Amino acid sequence: MKFLVSRFNPESDTSPYMQEFEVEVVRGMMLRDALLEIKRHDESFAFRHSCGEGVCGSDGVNVNGTNKLACITPISELTEPVEVRPFPGRPIIRDLVVDMTQFYQQYRAVKPWLVRDDPMPEQEILQSPEERDKLDGLYECILCGCCSTACPSFWWNPEKFHGPQALLTAWRFLADSRDQATDERLDALEGPYKLFRCHTIMNCVDVCPKGLNPTKAIGHIKTLMLKNAV
Amino acid sequence: MSRKASGLKAWAIQRLTAIYIGLFALYLVAVLLFAAPVDFVAWKEWIGGPLVSVMLLLFIVSVLMHAWIGVRDILIDYVHPIAIRASLLGLVAMALVGMGLWAAQALILVRMA
Ligand code: SF4
Repeated sequence: MKFLVSRFNPESDTSPYMQEFEVEVVRGMMLRDALLEIKRHDESFAFRHSCGEGVCGSDGVNVNGTNKLACITPISELTEPVEVRPFPGRPIIRDLVVDMTQFYQQYRAVKPWLVRDDPMPEQEILQSPEERDKLDGLYECILCGCCSTACPSFWWNPEKFHGPQALLTAWRFLADSRDQATDERLDALEGPYKLFRCHTIMNCVDVCPKGLNPTKAIGHIKTLMLKNAV
Repeated sequence: MSRKASGLKAWAIQRLTAIYIGLFALYLVAVLLFAAPVDFVAWKEWIGGPLVSVMLLLFIVSVLMHAWIGVRDILIDYVHPIAIRASLLGLVAMALVGMGLWAAQALILVRMA
């Protein structure tokens, strides 16, 4: 099967180019296996990967125009030639490896931890099953970055717009009954950039390999803000 | 618009005005389809009536606010150099205010005619 992969070596190339590889496909092969096969042909080919089962979130790439995790993308679902590029909008470090610094900065900016004013109890903070259910569809995020790097609003303003991943996380803590910083969190999201650059394009929902819905989370944040404002 | 208001407030106004614009457009289409004024006098009477005047005025204000927020969003997204963005915003603001005044003048003229 024909593969076209994006190559870029900052020391010798001025811009990325596509290189062709033939990979023999076997049954059950995932895209990650094909990339490993390419690496066997050409040792200088660089891409990130680790767990190989869609848990670590390392091998997000752009395949035939869509962001996916290579390790859980069956080759049989892809049309030939398979074009593999790095995440769009991110500075390329080498080949498929991109600089995700801004993505992590946005994640950190939403304070992705529980904030408590009350003194910490001796035991765990209790939660009813209903309260716990509210975190489903939020806590499963593996920070792969498929969503934020598919988001046009994040392409244009990655320093100021939080992006779908960080906003999903913001809602994950706003929705948590144990968190006590609702007002501070909402205040921190005000202004035209951090939250309100989202124009409900929904690329994030389209690409999330975990089937999460950042757009819905963003909608919840806006509704809560509105409720607290009136 | 204050700094703090420029996120949530703009977003909420955008949605509210969209609803009103949609409803008024439906009303307009319905009137023109089923009870279109037959001549200028009938049209003047309809459009100059107190209720329709107020609704129309509200519609014009809504369209202008909606346009302002939409264009502002586009400029924030795509135009990053602050001087160019500010100039474009200024131009858009002037154009919108101009259009608003023009529409107001038309409304006043029709009521006086
Ligand atoms: S929301 Fe989904 S696509 Fe986005 S970082 Fe988390 S797991 Fe990846």
